[in-house]
Amino acid sequence: MTTSGTLTASLEDYLEAIFHITAEKQAARPKDIAKRLKVSNPSVTGALRSLAEKKLINYAPYDVITLTDEGKKIAKDVVRRHEVLRNFFVKVLAVEYHQADEVACKMEHAIPKVILERLIRFVDFVEKCPRAGTKWIRGFAYYCDHETTQENCEKCISLALEEVRQRRQKGGSKTMNLAKLKDLKPGQKAKVVKVKARGETNKRIVEMGITPGTVVEIERVAPLGDPIDIKVKGYHLSLRKYEAEEIEIEKL
Amino acid sequence: MKSKIIVALAGNPNSGKSTIFNELTGARQHVGNYPGVTVERKEGLCRYNGIELQVVDLPGTYSLTAYSEDELVARNFIINEKPDVVVDVIDSSNLERNLYLAVQLMELGVPLVLAFNMSDLAKARGYEIDINKLSRFFGARIVQTIGNKGTGIKELLKAIVETAENGSLNRERKEKETLTNDLSSRVSIRGARKVTLTINYGRVIEEEIAKIQSLLEADTSIANRYDTRWLAIKLLENDRDLLKEIKSPKIHKQIEKSRARIEEILGESAETAIAGARYGFISGACQEAVRSTIEIRHTISEKIDSVVTSRFLGPPIFLGLMYLVFHLTFTLGNPPMEWIENFFGWLSRTIQRWWPTGSESLLKSLLVDGVIGGVGGVIVFLPNILLLFLAISILEDSGYMARAAFIMDRLMHKIGLHGKSFIPMLIGFGCSIPAIMATRTLEDRRDRLTTMFVIPLMSCGARLPIYSLIIPAFFPQAWHAPMLWTIYTIGIVVAILVAKILRVTVLKGESVPFVMELPPYRMPTIKGVMIHMWERGWLYLKKAGTIILSISILLWAITTFPRLPAEERARFEKERLTVQAKFANDDKEKTARLTAIDNAEIEAALEYSIAGRIGRVIEPLLKPMGFDWKIGTALIGAFAAKEVFVAQLGIVYSVGEADEESETLRQKLQNSYSPLVGFCIMLFMLLSMPCMATMAVMKRESNSWKWALFQLIGLTIIAYMLTTSVYQIGQLLKIGIG
Repeated sequence: MTTSGTLTASLEDYLEAIFHITAEKQAARPKDIAKRLKVSNPSVTGALRSLAEKKLINYAPYDVITLTDEGKKIAKDVVRRHEVLRNFFVKVLAVEYHQADEVACKMEHAIPKVILERLIRFVDFVEKCPRAGTKWIRGFAYYCDHETTQENCEKCISLALEEVRQRRQKGGSKTMNLAKLKDLKPGQKAKVVKVKARGETNKRIVEMGITPGTVVEIERVAPLGDPIDIKVKGYHLSLRKYEAEEIEIEKL
Repeated sequence: MKSKIIVALAGNPNSGKSTIFNELTGARQHVGNYPGVTVERKEGLCRYNGIELQVVDLPGTYSLTAYSEDELVARNFIINEKPDVVVDVIDSSNLERNLYLAVQLMELGVPLVLAFNMSDLAKARGYEIDINKLSRFFGARIVQTIGNKGTGIKELLKAIVETAENGSLNRERKEKETLTNDLSSRVSIRGARKVTLTINYGRVIEEEIAKIQSLLEADTSIANRYDTRWLAIKLLENDRDLLKEIKSPKIHKQIEKSRARIEEILGESAETAIAGARYGFISGACQEAVRSTIEIRHTISEKIDSVVTSRFLGPPIFLGLMYLVFHLTFTLGNPPMEWIENFFGWLSRTIQRWWPTGSESLLKSLLVDGVIGGVGGVIVFLPNILLLFLAISILEDSGYMARAAFIMDRLMHKIGLHGKSFIPMLIGFGCSIPAIMATRTLEDRRDRLTTMFVIPLMSCGARLPIYSLIIPAFFPQAWHAPMLWTIYTIGIVVAILVAKILRVTVLKGESVPFVMELPPYRMPTIKGVMIHMWERGWLYLKKAGTIILSISILLWAITTFPRLPAEERARFEKERLTVQAKFANDDKEKTARLTAIDNAEIEAALEYSIAGRIGRVIEPLLKPMGFDWKIGTALIGAFAAKEVFVAQLGIVYSVGEADEESETLRQKLQNSYSPLVGFCIMLFMLLSMPCMATMAVMKRESNSWKWALFQLIGLTIIAYMLTTSVYQIGQLLKIGIG
């Protein structure tokens, strides 16, 4: 790692390119590198020499190029910095992928390790923290497009709080308690996750208010065992089990 | 200012829409049919401040998609007939679900007034509604009403008239604007509104809406007729009816692409996402404007349900109620039916008595047998129909009907029908006419037509006289009950099979989801029940009555003409004279002989008439079933009413006026036919063509002659095939021919 500080941005780009090409084709040739980095062949030769001097690559004229262990380590580090930045742009700042990739390529050389670690943690934190989360990021994307927020703040916070409580109830695990509406027992409550039915059935089910996110409660099963009586949005609805099978829920 | 305002009344089922309609219009109602569909169109008039309001009661719907005939009719009315105001009746104790329709009306951009009905119930449940706030969200006036007490009707009328005035003002202004500014002079249905209120569906869907909208705008034939944003949303929702309107393959391609993209990004279908956004808007609005002050864990309705639909008490309560309905309709309906029959019997006797003697005129026969018989045949069903609809109105208005369907659906679904088919089928054992009218409670067209089609297979009360004549004539005492049971069971089994066949052929299609609201129990109002009962009775008399009357006259004609030639009649007259001279001293013998001659003459006349001739002509056709021309002629009579079969058989066997207890007729039948033929007669009478009154009601209720005739011919063919096979197999195996 001592040498990494002394490498120029351009040399890091070369290492990165060789890393990607060897990953694809086992070994790299100067021609491939020139093509990938959009530079001329002579400049590739010069760079390769200087990398060879630093013992980061195995290079002999007219032979294939491979990374040394040290070179591999540095290359991986560069690739990681690139990916972290790109992820941050795409996932947190809601920037388009290609644009994010391009900018990441330029920024990866300048970013110090400490800051990089912080960025990684930040992305992780935003995804995990209930006050932020993927929904929060979507809200940010909406804000960027419309210069206004979509939801009211109290509702958003109370929803987040509710999610935290649910998660705690399930022993802190992130895995959801997925089931089908059909499998619930009278008296049980659940939140609708997905309506899998197609066509008219789907339309009727969602129009009657069984949309994803809605809380439903099984009231009872008909005496002959088929339609079920569920409570949704404060009223009672009967569904055949066949239809209830198409509704995925999360037990509450 | 218009002097007449057209008001469309929309709303969810069970929102109390009909009570509002009745309060607005009183008894000044008119019921008709929308062309080509089974949906009824109800209209009424009312006045407010010298302005006449024409109120059209749209069918009760939850939404405005092309999901059912009802929804399509409601939507097309609003789009095509452009009412001045649409009133959405909303059950304020169940706001969120009810507002879903309001959101769609709002998106449609029609001048809207929301009637928050049952506001007393909402208050009792502890809802505090900020009317002003909600009114702003929905861009519509909101009036709180209590339909069954008539509260808020005046305010509602005021809001309607004011909204209509604003609407027409805006429309005029907009039209002027479009004429001056817009070269394409596009007048959209949105033109009538002040502020355009739209729901934001979120970035992904909005992008797709914009893409489709821009394509639609380019097509002037579409853009002139619809609001393009509304249309784009509906197309994304995969609205079958509107998709058909779009001709351009480019737009279809874009819709496909957009739907796929939405599903890919949001992970749910476009329909779900759009409905979710609408409900999101509603719950947002409700969170801001509605406060719940008390929390009620279990409403009274839920407590009732925990008994009425429970596993152990549910079925007995259901069966008990069904018994009551049947009992009310038929047992209680019997005395008035007898009064009606007696009255018409008395009327025809009176006319006969007052008719100048000696002149056996045709006019008398037409009047007595054709007209009076026909009118009597129409009115005789009225007590049954009124009583049945009394029971059905109470069951429906109280909310029990949905529970009945809930309890019975498992069973009925197995045979390809709906839980709500049970009551009509049960009534079918009494009489097909009220039973077919009772299918009105079924919302889906296919469910309804299937149920109507098989109802005549439920052996009705009028067929009982035939069985009671035939069974004792051919079978020993011990067999009587099992035989009757067998006949009824065959009817049920064939009904199940026919329903299944219809479901996979003519009426095939996706099984309609049983997504049915179980509305809270409510006290039916006397006014509502009475209006409903009266309406059904009147419609029956007006629509079915005319058909029944004309067919009775036709049947009279074919059993009367051509009359016996003069020489034939003279021969019977001569015989009578000889008998009178020969037995002048023996009165008893004379009367007996004279009756025999009379019967022989009637028999000869029937044989000579068109009906008799048809009987002869179709005899070869009836042969495979073991029937002769006599049964054939009696079958024609049975078309008037099933029980007439017995009387007709009496005539062709020259026993005069016979009823089902006539031993002489039984004797004659026994001499002429084998028990196998006896069974075949019953089988054929059970399955074959329903009576003409059934056909008339079928025509009226399905709103098409096609279905009425399809039923008539279809059932007859089934009967023919089954009876033929039974007879042939019986012959082959030598069962019942001894």
